[in-house]
Amino acid sequence: MSLSNEFSKGFYKENPVFKLALGLCPTLAVSNSVQNAIGMGAAATFVLLCSNVIISMIRKGVPKKIRIPIYIVVIATFVTIVDLVMAGFAPALHKSLGIFVPLIVVNCVILGRAEAYAGKNSVLYSFIDGLGMGIGFTFALAIIAVVRELLGDGKLWGIPMFGSGFEPVLLLILPPGAFLTLGMFLGLFNWLDTKRSAA
Amino acid sequence: MEFNELLIIAVSAIFINNFVLTRFLGICPYIGVSKNMDSAVGMGFAVIFVMTLASMVTWLINAFMLKPTTSNIFYIIFNAEAPPDLTYLKTIAFILVIASLVQFVEMVVQKVSPALYKSLGIFLPLITTNCAILGVALLNLDNDYNFIASIVHGLAAGVGFTLALVLMAGIREKLEMAPIPKALQGIPIAFLMAGLMSIAFLGFSGLKIQ
Amino acid sequence: MKDILKLGGILLLVTAIAGAALSMVNAITKPRIEEQKRLVTQRALTTALPKANPEAIVPVTENESVSHYIGYQTTEKQNIAGYAFVAKGAGYSSIIETMVGVDTTGTVMGIKIMQQVETPGLGTKIEEVRYGESSSWFQDQFLNRIADGLIVDKDGGDIISVTGATISCRAVANSIKKGMGELEERLGGFKVN
Repeated sequence: MSLSNEFSKGFYKENPVFKLALGLCPTLAVSNSVQNAIGMGAAATFVLLCSNVIISMIRKGVPKKIRIPIYIVVIATFVTIVDLVMAGFAPALHKSLGIFVPLIVVNCVILGRAEAYAGKNSVLYSFIDGLGMGIGFTFALAIIAVVRELLGDGKLWGIPMFGSGFEPVLLLILPPGAFLTLGMFLGLFNWLDTKRSAA
Repeated sequence: MEFNELLIIAVSAIFINNFVLTRFLGICPYIGVSKNMDSAVGMGFAVIFVMTLASMVTWLINAFMLKPTTSNIFYIIFNAEAPPDLTYLKTIAFILVIASLVQFVEMVVQKVSPALYKSLGIFLPLITTNCAILGVALLNLDNDYNFIASIVHGLAAGVGFTLALVLMAGIREKLEMAPIPKALQGIPIAFLMAGLMSIAFLGFSGLKIQ
Repeated sequence: MKDILKLGGILLLVTAIAGAALSMVNAITKPRIEEQKRLVTQRALTTALPKANPEAIVPVTENESVSHYIGYQTTEKQNIAGYAFVAKGAGYSSIIETMVGVDTTGTVMGIKIMQQVETPGLGTKIEEVRYGESSSWFQDQFLNRIADGLIVDKDGGDIISVTGATISCRAVANSIKKGMGELEERLGGFKVN
């Protein structure tokens, strides 16, 4: 188990969204603009990192029977911290992410990593795992958001990319576009996999 | 609150702002348990039940423990000078309450009706991490719904979830026979179907209910 | 039994630590969050009541919540420049909150959308400012109108809605119209020109 491998697995091999199909609610909901996607990714990464470290630290003292409630309390604490800090320092982002900020609590990526990784591994490894997975999650959100914002609204990071003649594909920015884009990406990653294993 | 307003809340939660197809809440169980009809129906009813109950309980928690009003129980017990504003604890309070609620429901159903437990039991643990449950509690708060409106909203949100889930299960059972490209089999095609359903549900946004 | 007490105790301890940590964070962020909220309201009020002295806009409370604001021309609070209120209407994916300022005859003096989470690229265009202009073209249409004129084109009026976002536009127009009716009742009628 090498550190760099633990870090990089979140990008592609075990990408939480594209490979493990976890954390799909926020992926669909906030990928309508790149700004939202990066904001959500950063918030989730922070929570993932902190909860992984704390859970790994206390893993030997936590009785098996009540580990899940304890994990949830730890995660909820960091989510609330993010929620409060974002409301105070980035109110616009806080508003546009809406209830998806407190809903990071039930993001299965985070509880999933706590249960599958941080509860069993050392602090350093859990930290690296959290960072890698968080960046992988952010990357997945961002790539979907780029497609949706660029084609659906003709913008990137809120800046118009095409001339005024461009007719955006409105559907992509609307809810159906989220499902369709994610479906196509999941298919693409499947296809890449089969091609790789065939070669 | 008038009956009319409650009706608007209900219709809007089921069709116009369907929890799954336009609000993106509860996607994991939507994709996960829509492979066959029986489990979709079972999951649907479990969600309706827990959502309604959760709306009720979280509303009471918020009104009597978190909100800074004179009926806050901490204000009454500790005889505090001013009612404490504990709304910042809502996320942690709600998720713990929902988790315990689900456990409690599971135990009660097991004792009272083993038959019902057999059909719903396996879905209950999955519900704790269903973001639609916490979502409905937070939306009740955001929209300032009163007690009755919260319950109606919770119930309708559950019905909307079940509707989307059951429709999806019907489609996916048929998809078993369809010649789908290999890369799209399984989850990807489910998402593409969900996208098409979501387009259909966009039509409801034209409903004029004022 | 002993086991349950021990487990319960641990859980209680963890939750207590979490609660304590959060109350500390809350103590730090709370003033900041409130300041942000105050700023949003303050900015909206200045836009909605351009003729009022920004220092002389006072909230009027009814049943412990603010029902509307009165803006005076001078800090001595003598001549009323107009009234402002927050209109709330359900848009496509959010509650749209608009600060609306009207003069004493019930004509819209200024509006400012304070909160909306509509679909990017569609509903959000109710706040769009076109290149080279300094204010939102959609919101500018509301100026100098009385309540009866606040109808969007799709409903037979002449307020041009944002293409593809009729619901958001209708929500803004209807909520303002409704709010003006309520304000008129509260004041016992507007002055007649």
